Amino acid sequence: MKNLKIVKALTILFVGIVGLLIVSCEKDLNEPVPVAYIPANLDLNAGTWKTYILGTSTEVPVSEPKATNSVEYAAEIVKLKTVLANLTPEQKKTAAFWGAGAVYRWNELAREMAARYNQPPASNLEGKYPVPDAANPLADPRFPFANPPYVARALAYLSVAQYDALVSTWAYKNKYNRQGPSKVDASITTLLPVTALPTYPSEDAVVAAASYAVLIAMFPGEIPFLDSKLAEAKNARYYAGMNVESDIIAGDALGKAVAAKVMARAKTDGMAAANNQTLTAGFIEAAKARGIKDVWVSQETPIRPPMLPNYGAVATWNFDKATMGQIRPAIPYIVGSTEWQKDFDELSKINGKQTREQARIANYWADGPGTYTPPGHWHRTAANAALEAKFSEVRMARTMALLGTAEMDAGIACWETKFYYYTPRPQQFGLKTSIGLPNFPSYTSGHSTFSAAAATVLGYIFPEKASIFNEQATESSNSRVYGLIHYRVDCSMGLVHGKKIGEYAIERGKSDGSNLQ
Amino acid sequence: MKLFTKYAIVLMICISSVAMAQMPHDAIYMPKKAFCFALSANQSEWTEYWENKLKRENLNIGKLTTQSAMVMVAAGITDNLNLIVGLPYVKTKTSAGNLMGQKGIQDLSGWLKYKMLDKSGLTIHGVLGASVPLGNYVPDFLPMSIGLQAKTVSGRVIGNYHHKSGVYLQAHASYIYRSTITIDKDSYLSNNKVYNTNVVAIPNATDTRAAVGYYKKGVQFEVFAESFTCVGGDNIRRNDMPFPTNAMNSKMIGAYAKYQPKNWGLNAKIGNCYEGQNVGNSTIYSVGILYQIKSKNQVFK
Repeated sequence: MKNLKIVKALTILFVGIVGLLIVSCEKDLNEPVPVAYIPANLDLNAGTWKTYILGTSTEVPVSEPKATNSVEYAAEIVKLKTVLANLTPEQKKTAAFWGAGAVYRWNELAREMAARYNQPPASNLEGKYPVPDAANPLADPRFPFANPPYVARALAYLSVAQYDALVSTWAYKNKYNRQGPSKVDASITTLLPVTALPTYPSEDAVVAAASYAVLIAMFPGEIPFLDSKLAEAKNARYYAGMNVESDIIAGDALGKAVAAKVMARAKTDGMAAANNQTLTAGFIEAAKARGIKDVWVSQETPIRPPMLPNYGAVATWNFDKATMGQIRPAIPYIVGSTEWQKDFDELSKINGKQTREQARIANYWADGPGTYTPPGHWHRTAANAALEAKFSEVRMARTMALLGTAEMDAGIACWETKFYYYTPRPQQFGLKTSIGLPNFPSYTSGHSTFSAAAATVLGYIFPEKASIFNEQATESSNSRVYGLIHYRVDCSMGLVHGKKIGEYAIERGKSDGSNLQ
Repeated sequence: MKLFTKYAIVLMICISSVAMAQMPHDAIYMPKKAFCFALSANQSEWTEYWENKLKRENLNIGKLTTQSAMVMVAAGITDNLNLIVGLPYVKTKTSAGNLMGQKGIQDLSGWLKYKMLDKSGLTIHGVLGASVPLGNYVPDFLPMSIGLQAKTVSGRVIGNYHHKSGVYLQAHASYIYRSTITIDKDSYLSNNKVYNTNVVAIPNATDTRAAVGYYKKGVQFEVFAESFTCVGGDNIRRNDMPFPTNAMNSKMIGAYAKYQPKNWGLNAKIGNCYEGQNVGNSTIYSVGILYQIKSKNQVFK
């Protein structure tokens, strides 16, 4: 029967297609894979560059290593060869992963921590928002709430610790000039490119230990995870055949000691009082005295206390508090004024007819809950630019420290401005948002301030990309208008403010002894 | 239809099928050269949802309502092979908070339904489905987004026993492959990992359903239970919004009725998502009008 044959054929086809669906489960995400490179410049003089916290680059002592012709060194070589003789594919993968760069990978890891912890607390049954507790970081709500100011600060300390530790590392590398195992023993094959840079102490171990010390303080709920990453980063250097054990041990100790000094500043920088909610009544009074008629009110139900109202009092890096007062943006348009109405009308128009392109820009730059925040976004941009430019570890750390301190300064100065004027969000006048509404005053835009500061610093370090960074900063700033959560004046003034803040970081960069851009 | 809306319409919602005369999940066929047109209005609403497994409300959303209007066409290629095509326009809104409602044309879906076995009232059917997004809507502004932007391909087997009294028993199982999607962001968190890409993997899914009903002389009534389960996927984090990678699992019970004595017909459906994960605790309603163009010599089954 003809029909029976067709039935059979179609049934087989059907079963085949369903089977294919079930087995074809791998979905390609097209993620970039950074790889190891030979730095364009080894920056052998970096041991003389100006540090942030260390008084001198050799403030933390590192003892002289055993000579490469010593019995002890020979024993280390034997040990390393044993590792190399038994490498698993997994270990080779680990070597390649960390080979992309210690600063690059630890910054990436820090951004991942930030994204994991970037979630505002839920309200409880009493309609209150419990404050995250550093002593109990995995309870609900988890500590920290890694919001933009928190992340700006965490990344600043991370980058400063990495930078200071690496400047010190370079000083000792030059001083002791002990070459790596593959140069001493030609039978050692490395998995990563080898340069003339001395390997004692190991820059990778230095960065790992310094980063670990900062990150366990910033993200105390992640200690077991960070323990495993620290071990992995150090072991990766053996798997790659790049270091002997004494390189790693010395680097580990140096990174740890420098980070301890950097974290001593963090403990007293004023962050502990950043969430002092008792100050807000006074802020509101002062803003009204300055001429602000309508003040910011949380648009959440239940009402949520504003994010870190006293973050503006945290210690800055590249300018002092008197300067911060001088560069504070002028008073914004008062609600009801002609200028305010013009800004509001721009938003009203978008509220009714947001284009897909406006939504795209708003979404791309949103960097809201569950992300590494705008400072994290710019750190990623910087790390990728430095990778592309084949920066040495120490030069990449300098890039990230200049950026990181500028971003933290931007956060502090912007937050100070926000609570100085305490201005209302557009949602207080009936507008919706396509990206979610941050819970703090409107003027000035944090995105605009962070982005202009970042673009200014990065434009100095990568002048050939300056126009791209500036366009990105402008787009990031515009995104807050397109997403309907900021007035135009919040953004334009934030950009001006951010640029000034970035210039203070450049000033430091120009005088840090590197003679670099 | 259920399959389509399950993956596609706003994810916090256990929306179910739009009522239709012959649907991708039933055992009813258009005769050869006959067509059925349907227009349905659908609504889904919830005030509570499952954040992972935690059932909660959100005072900054209040009640989330998803409305859609859908056109469908079913065509009899042969008496045992039907093509069904559908396209909805979807709109979302909240009753509280300040999240902007979304609206637009969603995904075009098509199914081929084939009767593989027909013996003494027992029938076995195979259904191949596919869908492709037509609208350029934002897929990751959940729960406001109107869909996920994934392309899908699905396979389903339906078993049906229809007694001559009109009573029938029916069950089906499906596997749904869902493509990756591209979002506006170039980084996102999923399963505690940051992905530095704008490509997002949407988990595949399975779908099962059982129904008991009566169908005779243009009158149909049934009660059903259905389950939609993702293969893999992550969960909404504490106090976070949903994301397309979430395992949006739901179990629903409901009832469906149709009256189509001749060319014109009406149908209606109600359902409730009584158990879920990363979805809304939703109630769905839908009503539709049907119009069938018969070929000569064909009568309603």
